[in-house]
Amino acid sequence: MGTCYLAWATDEKIRRRAANGGFVTAALVAALENGLLDAVVVVKKEDVYEGIPTVTSAPEVVVESAGSLHAVPVNLTKFVVEFYKDEKNKGKKIGLPVKPCDARGIIEQAKRQQLDINDIYLVGLNCGGTLHPLNLREAAAEVYGIDPDAVVKEEIKAGKLFLTLQSGEERECKIEELEKKGYGRRDSCKMCITKIPTMADLACGNWGVLKGEEATFVEVLTGKGEALLKNALENGYIKVKEASEKSLEVRERIKNAMVKLAEEWWEKLDAVKELTRDERLKFYVETLRLCINCGACRTVCPVCACDDAAKCVSMHDERDDYVISMYNVIRLLHLMDSCIGCGQCEDVCPVDIPLTFIHRRFAERMQRKLNYMPGMNVSEKPPFYEAELQWHDIL
Amino acid sequence: MLAVVDEQMNEKKEWEPKVLAFCCNWCSYAGADAAGLERRQTPPTIRVIRVMCSGRIDPAFVLMGFLEGADAVLITGCHIGDCHYVDANYKTRNRFEFLKEFVDELGLEPERLRLEWISASEGAIFADMVKEVTENVKKVGPSPFRKSWKK
Repeated sequence: MGTCYLAWATDEKIRRRAANGGFVTAALVAALENGLLDAVVVVKKEDVYEGIPTVTSAPEVVVESAGSLHAVPVNLTKFVVEFYKDEKNKGKKIGLPVKPCDARGIIEQAKRQQLDINDIYLVGLNCGGTLHPLNLREAAAEVYGIDPDAVVKEEIKAGKLFLTLQSGEERECKIEELEKKGYGRRDSCKMCITKIPTMADLACGNWGVLKGEEATFVEVLTGKGEALLKNALENGYIKVKEASEKSLEVRERIKNAMVKLAEEWWEKLDAVKELTRDERLKFYVETLRLCINCGACRTVCPVCACDDAAKCVSMHDERDDYVISMYNVIRLLHLMDSCIGCGQCEDVCPVDIPLTFIHRRFAERMQRKLNYMPGMNVSEKPPFYEAELQWHDIL
Repeated sequence: MLAVVDEQMNEKKEWEPKVLAFCCNWCSYAGADAAGLERRQTPPTIRVIRVMCSGRIDPAFVLMGFLEGADAVLITGCHIGDCHYVDANYKTRNRFEFLKEFVDELGLEPERLRLEWISASEGAIFADMVKEVTENVKKVGPSPFRKSWKK
């Protein structure tokens, strides 16, 4: 475990805009203004339900995008990969705030030589889960009884989802209750157990911030993270104090509770668990038969790094008329060692195949058997390729 | 006459499994050859595909075999350490671990997939393996991916 601090921005404006303490925004602004970073990737807020990833070198844009967007479940990995594909961006240092799944995706891409991890400063954010925008709209209308378009701000605090209306009125509902009614977090988030981004450079969040304090809890995990913190501190953008025993304890307790909840959700969402072998096959065939071969899941997948000559595409032929297409079969197989369970595939699927769950079913058992978690460490090679290293055993 | 034609064409034969075997050029294909030279009885269920090395067998080929209706797929190659291409059968072994889990999760019986190392002189082992696999597959029945299962 890294060193833990409580940090807050010295700038009043940042503190007011940001979710808690404004450390993330202040650190990124400081790094931009002092030349530590060339650019920052932020999700620019359109409204509560929509955000657009943007690369910017302007500190004011970073400040503007402060605050959390729970209903924009975008994964920045492919965006960063596209950024580095441009010849003129090679070698640029960028920083970005990341959810654990963003960080894991970026690390998986670095393993596949799509980008250099040393160029990227990952400011991790603790993540209890994201909401699907359509789902939140429905929930606003059904549960909160308000016009979805009138919502100007959403905030998750202490297990409650707050929606603020144009008039300034604030409505709240427990997430637990929302989820009982079929709303709430996305399925992939419900079953995700990576709540604190220990694979990033910094892990920030409000877990461990005690009542009455307005600060961000920051765990420094790598040298890059330390550089970010030091730069912001020495140039007077932030103030820090050492985290107390109590806040560490509180953070650990919240994390453990979330992980326990995720494990319970996995049990609940696992619809295949009770089925016999034949029924399981029938379930997979009938669910995947809906596939229209659009390829959207492959395009958004943060761990896929093959180009157009990928096996799942080149070995697939619609005329084959297999009960499960080669595309799905190969994708399921190739993701067994590398699926991070981010749920992007399910979000974009036009025929609503429960892809997160199916991929998790296949990946979970393999990853557990190999005792390997993808996206946690750049130096761990994907086990599918690891065999080439092992032949030294016999010499 | 039409009835006779119909009868001739639709013989009510007992179902025979189809076993797809990938054999590497240097060891297991020669092993299969040895089984023939030694006049060992091998069930006619086997269909051999020769590849240069077991490391050439992409898991996708095996899955395609299943989707095409193979009742069992065998992957054979040189013994570990004997590979003609130094370490390629390590990759085969690694991929097989993935395939095994995949096939099990998908809902196919584990008997339908097998990895065996067979050297050029092990004709007896090759014949025994084919016999054993055929018997096992007969017990579990035809593959659910058989053509008749389609729409």
